[in-house]
Amino acid sequence: MLEAPRETSVSSRAPKLGVVIGSGSIKCASAIGLLRVLERERIPVDLLVGCSAGGIYASALALGWDLDALERKSCETWEGLFARLDYRSVLQGLLPGLFRSRGPVGLLDERRLKAALESLYGETAFADARVPLYIVATDLNTGDSVILSEGRLQDAVRASIAIPVLLRPVAINGRLLFDGGASDPLPVSVAIREGCDIILAMGFENPLHERVGSLMSLVSQTTCITINNLLKSTYSFYSAAHHAEIVPIIPTFDRHIGLRDSSLHPYIIERGEEAAAKQLPFLRRLLDPGVRLAGPPDPSDGN
Amino acid sequence: MSGGAGDSRQRSGPRVAVVLGSGSVKCAAALGLLKVLQREGIGIDMIVGCSGGSLYAALIALGHDAGTAEAMTRRLWTKELTKRRNNRSILSVFLPRVFGFDESFGMVNDALILDRLKEAFGASTFEEARIPLYLTATDFHTGDQVVFGSGRIVDAIRASIAIPYIFRPWPIDGRLLVDGFMSDPMPVGVAIRQGANIIVTMGFESPYQHKINSPLRFAFQLSSITSNNLLKSNFAFHNLAHHAEILPIIPEFKDSIHLFDTDKIPYVIEEGERAAERQVPYLRRLLSGV
Amino acid sequence: MEITTEQRGTVTVLSIVGSVDGMTASAMVVSFREQVSGGNVLLVVDFTGVDYTSSAGLRALLETVKETRQRGGDLRLAAVQPDVLRVLELSGFTHILKLFPDTESAVASFPA
Repeated sequence: MLEAPRETSVSSRAPKLGVVIGSGSIKCASAIGLLRVLERERIPVDLLVGCSAGGIYASALALGWDLDALERKSCETWEGLFARLDYRSVLQGLLPGLFRSRGPVGLLDERRLKAALESLYGETAFADARVPLYIVATDLNTGDSVILSEGRLQDAVRASIAIPVLLRPVAINGRLLFDGGASDPLPVSVAIREGCDIILAMGFENPLHERVGSLMSLVSQTTCITINNLLKSTYSFYSAAHHAEIVPIIPTFDRHIGLRDSSLHPYIIERGEEAAAKQLPFLRRLLDPGVRLAGPPDPSDGN
Repeated sequence: MSGGAGDSRQRSGPRVAVVLGSGSVKCAAALGLLKVLQREGIGIDMIVGCSGGSLYAALIALGHDAGTAEAMTRRLWTKELTKRRNNRSILSVFLPRVFGFDESFGMVNDALILDRLKEAFGASTFEEARIPLYLTATDFHTGDQVVFGSGRIVDAIRASIAIPYIFRPWPIDGRLLVDGFMSDPMPVGVAIRQGANIIVTMGFESPYQHKINSPLRFAFQLSSITSNNLLKSNFAFHNLAHHAEILPIIPEFKDSIHLFDTDKIPYVIEEGERAAERQVPYLRRLLSGV
Repeated sequence: MEITTEQRGTVTVLSIVGSVDGMTASAMVVSFREQVSGGNVLLVVDFTGVDYTSSAGLRALLETVKETRQRGGDLRLAAVQPDVLRVLELSGFTHILKLFPDTESAVASFPA
């Protein structure tokens, strides 16, 4: 026997919509596809959360950046990131005895990344965002998830994006921070805590290497395996614990996307747009003010 | 909702399941749990093991009592296990192409641990276990959890304890396997899937480094951070997903226990016993209602 | 969303056609509860016709899973479509539930 949807206090107010863009390095560029769909459909977002590279795209939406400019800048950033390796770090990594390490190494060229982030954000701060924005990083000493919501955006994004081995951790407020993916790769938790009813969650599994040919790739593979499992694990928990709907936007790629595949940038965005468009009908139904959101039937459901 | 002793419901799943997660030497605390359960006359209907926990899960499933199991562990797990270096692997770090760095990297020569495992478990199979046994490992290429419930126990344990960087991955049936903790450090999900009712768990967080001043320490710190977060997140999910009770046994150790502190095993077992005893009153109440 | 029910020996097969989401969850749970309170706790849910699931839909399904298990039974899934399977994997369902390629094998998996 079917029950007609009932008016409840949830449906009498507009549902709060949060967008969470999780870690996934270059695959995160597919978030531009999601942003385009949201803009086209004029869907207002109430809260944004970003983790690792996802922080770039979450902050873009929070700041209201022009999407064509974002696409250009995103492409440039990924292209430049892997252009040059920091050779001293590479040697440090390989021959720790000879090159006394002063701490965790970073293989990528720090200066290029700093220049890219400076160009993207300048002195822009969290306070400049149009809607609440949160960027998630991980404390290197305690393993805890750290939620950044104040200060300069370039600092927060730089901390959150610090993929182990490739980029050095950074210190913020006395804590040494690195990749948010190591503690909460798709931080739906933040959106839930801040009271979001509908949460669009876009996150990616790290690609696993087809062949492991060096110590660096072994460390990377080992770490990625656990982080991929952590992504699914946290998502499972949030799905089961949330009061309303978490809508996953999961682009599918018909080819392997590695860190250096910046030439696939347009393809990656296209897949993101496709995945977002696929969820659009369901999302529209959820945003319909007449609809009661989720949940098992009330005890008083005509029994 | 649950009936009393006279309930004639057909139970399709195990009543009491024990899940032993990773934690190397600390996993010996499981023998303290075993002592308490035996003393209280509480039968174990299913046992799951991962990483260090796989050793104890197998010993218990094969019917060894706590005393024998303790003696076996002290003989098996000693510092000698990591003494012999795997020279080819180490050289391959510096000259990957010349010495062929590949997935079978492992800094420690695993011949001794294999001998010791064979000494302890021989050719025993899962089918011979007195209690249904499941051991978990991780597929190195896909990252998925792999659950073993048949075949030789030695193979499954060797796969489950394939600590990254230390012991090389272990091939079984065309899959390359590594330590179970990378996919699920305390595999409660396996017990849930088999329809277990009361699930008693024991698992430990991996230790954090005091000073991260070398690439190797960094690699281990990374491993601990990600797997500890996975342990907590899975436990949270399993609590929500399970239809009945999950009872965590949490021993407290005043001293720090390192990878090969086998002389601390009696102390570890004692603390395991103490922690298990704390859960007995509630466990009894649950069992009388089940 | 439509649900049809079929009894196969001691196992009840519920076939769902449509979307299992927050808006159809109420109807689904009502239908499942009828089975469980009627003593049918060995359930197979045929997902052949399920083209979409949401987190709220899965949560409601989880409630029924728990109810069957509390009564000594179980709920098993059959014939899950690839898109839906992806969501089930992400949501941890493939770890905590048994899945089968078709209803025959799912029904056969229950003890006779």
